[in-house]
Amino acid sequence: MMMASNIRPEPPAKTGERLLDVKGLTIEIETRTGPATIVDGIDLHVDKGETLGIVGESGCGKSLTMLSMMRLLPNKIKVTKGEANFAGRDLQKMSNSDLRKVRGGDVGFIFQDPMTSLNPVMRIGQQLAEPLIYHRGMSKAEARKRAGELLKLVGIPGAEDRLDAYPHELSGGMRQRVMIAIGLACNPQLLIADEPTTALDVTIQAQIVDLVKDLRDKLGMSVVWITHDLALIAGLVDRINVLYAGTVVEDAPVDALFANPSHPYTQGLLASIPKLSDERSTRLSSIGGTPPEPGRRPKGCPFAPRCPLAEAICHERVPSLEGLGQDGAHRVACFVAQRKLEAA
Amino acid sequence: MSVVPMPGTAAEIEPPVSLWRDAWHRLRRNKLAVFGLVVVVILAFTALFGPYLTPYDFLSQDLNSRNLAPSLSHLFGTDDLGRDVFSRVVYGTRTAFLVAIVVTFIAVVIGVTLGALAGFFGGWLDRIVMWLTDMTMSIPNLLLVVVINASLKSPITSWMESRYLATLNPVYRETIWVDFLLVFGSMALISWPPYARLVRAQVLSIRSRPYITAAQALGLTNRIILMRYVVPNALGPLIVAVSAGLGTAMVLESAFSFLGVGVNPPTPSWGNMISDGLRVWQHYPHLLAAPAAVLGLASVAFSFLGDGLNDALNPRGAK
Repeated sequence: MMMASNIRPEPPAKTGERLLDVKGLTIEIETRTGPATIVDGIDLHVDKGETLGIVGESGCGKSLTMLSMMRLLPNKIKVTKGEANFAGRDLQKMSNSDLRKVRGGDVGFIFQDPMTSLNPVMRIGQQLAEPLIYHRGMSKAEARKRAGELLKLVGIPGAEDRLDAYPHELSGGMRQRVMIAIGLACNPQLLIADEPTTALDVTIQAQIVDLVKDLRDKLGMSVVWITHDLALIAGLVDRINVLYAGTVVEDAPVDALFANPSHPYTQGLLASIPKLSDERSTRLSSIGGTPPEPGRRPKGCPFAPRCPLAEAICHERVPSLEGLGQDGAHRVACFVAQRKLEAA
Repeated sequence: MSVVPMPGTAAEIEPPVSLWRDAWHRLRRNKLAVFGLVVVVILAFTALFGPYLTPYDFLSQDLNSRNLAPSLSHLFGTDDLGRDVFSRVVYGTRTAFLVAIVVTFIAVVIGVTLGALAGFFGGWLDRIVMWLTDMTMSIPNLLLVVVINASLKSPITSWMESRYLATLNPVYRETIWVDFLLVFGSMALISWPPYARLVRAQVLSIRSRPYITAAQALGLTNRIILMRYVVPNALGPLIVAVSAGLGTAMVLESAFSFLGVGVNPPTPSWGNMISDGLRVWQHYPHLLAAPAAVLGLASVAFSFLGDGLNDALNPRGAK
């Protein structure tokens, strides 16, 4: 367990040791017409000290994967297959009390909407103290002192005076800083940030990204950052997983992904980011069509119906994630991209 | 590397305003609610300090001054046994508040516990609680109280009398408490379902809010989440319901006493005073008017206060 004494000033060393290893996780939702698959056998991993970006459009299962991995979803949504190992232990098979120790203790969460993710009738000092008292067995006075330090850590002015404030008295950016402080309260090994900047305006977004980056380097933790904004996290993450319809379609180190996007979906995502150099008259590029609805997944590659490069085989078989190049660090699930590389 | 500071300085920070203080400001602006609050406070004060306020004992009879009209020595006059009506109304207020508070307290404890558990855990627990609620609500309340009174009162009273004769223990001498016990018990038994339904609905809506998921992600136990995250957020509508419920319980107690199945004479209750006064109202209207007016005032005050609290605690619902 990462304790306060382990604080490192340098960016965390990447040991290649798996912290989180999700294998073949399949998530189904109960609907009136029967169970529908939302996430289909997803594979993900995060190494110690690594920062992973998970990118994809709304409804592709980004948040769902992370939440269901921690068994935080309502009963209607179930993990039916696969495992999610955290530090070598399967979260899916863990007892509820063991899982509670992982939640908040070893894995911190930051949620999308800081406006609604804080308890409106509890002072923020108390909300910060709650995990400290519960996970670290601190007394109320110790927890309050630590809560003040945490607020200072996330850069809230007048931190000690703010402990007695209610969430509605803070601005959105400040509330998200409080959320981050709560997520970091117990020095977690892994911080899962679920679109933490989506509800904030652009200048605050950059502040939050910088804040998490600084804190990651200070505290030496791994981070999973879920977003639909590729450009936002380019400077933060080590590796990016592109998700489409509940499967990873491309997994690449951040530089390789921007330099050589290989999956047609990733290419489409990158092309749809507006550039300053574009002519004013240029129409913003977009990907035609909509992602498949849960329960109505196509037979072959889930992206094939929208793919400009789709071939006959794409509608027949599901491509698996295969490494490109020598080291295999850049992996893509696309028949066309894989064949192109073999030919080259 | 230093943490990016938040723009703005400590000097800009205003003192924290709590949700409750905010609600209090809104409540104060509502004239009817303030009227209700003042009346409720006066009545509560009367109930609490009744014995020090009454010029006469509520039981002492003065057969030389029967059925006197209101005067300075007897503010509300006297009744057919020469008892001071003002003193009896004051003691009736004690009865009404005692019954209302105890009954509402029991009903709220049962209702909030069942409703919160049902809403939070759902599934079979929810089905059983809702089934119990529907079943209880389907029982006609008047009928239930009459049945409980008819079937339980005389056995308990006679048991206590026999215990007193056997042991001479003073605990068994006073049978007035049997009245109260039966009134409390039977009324609480029929009063909890609305609270259970209200709290369940609140909890169902709160359970799906992001801060509950956030609390679960912190690894907090269900008990802590329920007690510190769910129930406090459901409190606003509950306070409104309790305020209205206190008024309803008072009226209900009077209604039962009026019908002779509630608090029995000589214990004064607005209800049994109205019942006595009704027989002679053509001749001595003050015997009916005094308790009826106080009952009406109490009922209206609680309802105004409840409305005001509703607007104050749910600002989005207010005009």
